[in-house]
Amino acid sequence: MNLKSERRGIHVDQSELLCKKGCGYYGNPAWQGFCSKCWREEYHRARQKQIQEDWELAERLQREEEEAYASSQSTQGAQSLTFSKFEEKKTNEKTRKVTTVKKFFTASSRTGAKKVAQEKIVKQGQLGRERNADNILRDLKEIFTPSWELASPTEAEIQEAKAPSPSINRQASIETDRVSKEFIEFLKTYHKPGQDIYKQCKLFLDTMNHKRDLSIEEQSECAQDFYQNVAEKLQTRWKVPPEKVEKAMDQIEKYIMTRQYKYVFCPETTDDEKKDLAVQKRIRALHWVTPQMLCVPVNEEIPEVSDMVVKAITDIIEMDSKRVPRDKLACITKCSKHIFNAIKITKNEPASADDFLPTLIYIVLKGNPPRLQSNIQYITRFCNPSRLMTGEDGYYFTNLCCAVAFIEKLDAQSLNLSQEDFDRFMTGQTSPKKQESDSFSPDVCLGVKQMYKNLDLLSQLNERQERIVNEAKKLEKDLIDWTDGITKEVQDIVEKYPLEIKPKNQALAAIDSENVENDKLPPPLQPQVYAG
Amino acid sequence: MATGASAAAGGRSFSFKVVLLGEGCVGKTSLVLRYCENKFNDKHITTLQVRAGPEAGGEPVPELPGQGEASFLTKKLNIGGKRVNLAIWDTAGQERFHALGPIYYRDSNGAILVYDITDEDSFQKVKNWVKELRKMLGNEICLCIVGNKIDLEKERHVSVQEAETYAESVGAKHYHTSAKQNKGIEELFLDLCKRMIETAQVDERARGNGSSQSGITRRGVQIIDDEPQVQSSGGCCSSG
Repeated sequence: MNLKSERRGIHVDQSELLCKKGCGYYGNPAWQGFCSKCWREEYHRARQKQIQEDWELAERLQREEEEAYASSQSTQGAQSLTFSKFEEKKTNEKTRKVTTVKKFFTASSRTGAKKVAQEKIVKQGQLGRERNADNILRDLKEIFTPSWELASPTEAEIQEAKAPSPSINRQASIETDRVSKEFIEFLKTYHKPGQDIYKQCKLFLDTMNHKRDLSIEEQSECAQDFYQNVAEKLQTRWKVPPEKVEKAMDQIEKYIMTRQYKYVFCPETTDDEKKDLAVQKRIRALHWVTPQMLCVPVNEEIPEVSDMVVKAITDIIEMDSKRVPRDKLACITKCSKHIFNAIKITKNEPASADDFLPTLIYIVLKGNPPRLQSNIQYITRFCNPSRLMTGEDGYYFTNLCCAVAFIEKLDAQSLNLSQEDFDRFMTGQTSPKKQESDSFSPDVCLGVKQMYKNLDLLSQLNERQERIVNEAKKLEKDLIDWTDGITKEVQDIVEKYPLEIKPKNQALAAIDSENVENDKLPPPLQPQVYAG
Repeated sequence: MATGASAAAGGRSFSFKVVLLGEGCVGKTSLVLRYCENKFNDKHITTLQVRAGPEAGGEPVPELPGQGEASFLTKKLNIGGKRVNLAIWDTAGQERFHALGPIYYRDSNGAILVYDITDEDSFQKVKNWVKELRKMLGNEICLCIVGNKIDLEKERHVSVQEAETYAESVGAKHYHTSAKQNKGIEELFLDLCKRMIETAQVDERARGNGSSQSGITRRGVQIIDDEPQVQSSGGCCSSG
């Protein structure tokens, strides 16, 4: 068979049509050249292998988590890390559609396990061309099941208390257990009222479990009623001194909200998540906003100040990892304090709200904290109201709300830009940095700045040179034009007054010729030589 | 609507939220700093220069006259045996943040509207704020209009007569202060507190003594009907 015929596909060797395994039956390209029987065998084997691999992977994941858990036990600080991992998974599970997007947002530290899971998904995408979507889904479930399927809302308390084998749940329960223990320890100092408080809390949690179907506003209402009732009882019935009431309320909030968190934070019944994504997108679209545009009174070139800015950003991002509203508020307050310090160092005077708000906006824009709206909503709905109403935390929280509101509504006018500039920046056609070389973003290093300055200088020189060349050319042209002009003028004059030789001239000669007596004049003297 | 007033078990005690409103650079911050910490910072005048270009803040000036977060300050008072916790909320005065006002002054018991007597514009701004506050919060809120910087009397651009007539017409009280010379500030806050206590008591009586003896107030009765609706996140405090 020659090449040509093969290309045309007229003549094909018999052997190429047969099953690759050589069983004598015809193969089919759809089955990768196998016959139906051999293909089934082959496919089955590959699948088995894949499943085996998946299992190993799942086991490895599990092991890694156990290890991480073990290490978290030994080191106190690591606790939050493992917890955040749990959170991350939970988010993933709940919003699988947007996992990839969210991954970028979650600020918590990445762990090996997470990466492996991601790799696996990618791998499946490549290998699993022949595998259907169900398979992939099943594998995904293998990875994620422990975090959500084992905890059905109605039996939450039991689940948490018993903590079935998957490590993730165990970690969550450890967190809640720890809080419970602390709570009980704390209540012991209150003696008799302590028991009552505990009973009240338990009762509340039970009621909440039966109210999962209610809208989030109604659940919030319940929580607020509970806060109020308990505070009242603390004061009137149990005669707790006022200064201790606040402390008790904080502990109660911590206890109940640690348990409620997973049901009432960013609930699926609301569009909190949609709003989160909208804000994220908005902040990303505004990446070009400079501190100068916002009139931020912070000079990040001072190392101390830029340090404060980084800390403030870390704090505001950390907010998402907390479960108790009060802890979230504490993050906002910490962030605000860092901002105040940054302003104070820059300006050498106490910072006012005029300075603070723009800086907070800048920090939010720079940090793009995860799930901003969800967090704000959650705090609003489930925080102890007395804290939000008047306290310092409430003030900073309000400012954060303002910052978010400002970012959402921000337009050309609020940045002192022309509408055209604003539109161009928003669509990414230009960035303000290129436009005005003076306003560098503060994180550009000195060398780059120098380079920009030099480039600027060079382009200026270039411009000057061009100008000189142009002017020289112009001069040359002018000169040529000038000579041409003179020539033309001369010609014009010559034409206007042509040179005429008049016959009168002959008369004049006649006058000369009249001097006939000239011949009679003596000859001119001749030099004579005298010998002697 | 609910006030922040609360009667703790035993002696009466109130907690009030007061917002400071006014254009940038009229001296809101100086006023409150003087009141709460008795500090005045002359360098404050530089605010504008620093704004113009953040680079200008580079040269360090030794000694910081005023420390502490000047935008949120608290003060404890005892007025006629009534304990008062005053929380003073400073707000950003720049025009670009004007729309955020409702988020700040929600649930506040009093508002101090500051203008600069040498700056006619800042007085116009105060008028805008008053209109807005009355619309949003009705008569529950105690308003104080404050002409600051009377140490610059020579450069006065807002007439005393005009300001006082206006204040009366909108049911507000007018004060003249100088943060620099510490004039009229103590009086302003004391007066405001007394008025807020009155309002709170009237409010309590109106609601019927029985139920409102409760310790910690329920976060404000939700006034959803004419909620400013600034933006979606505006719901932050009303239900919090």
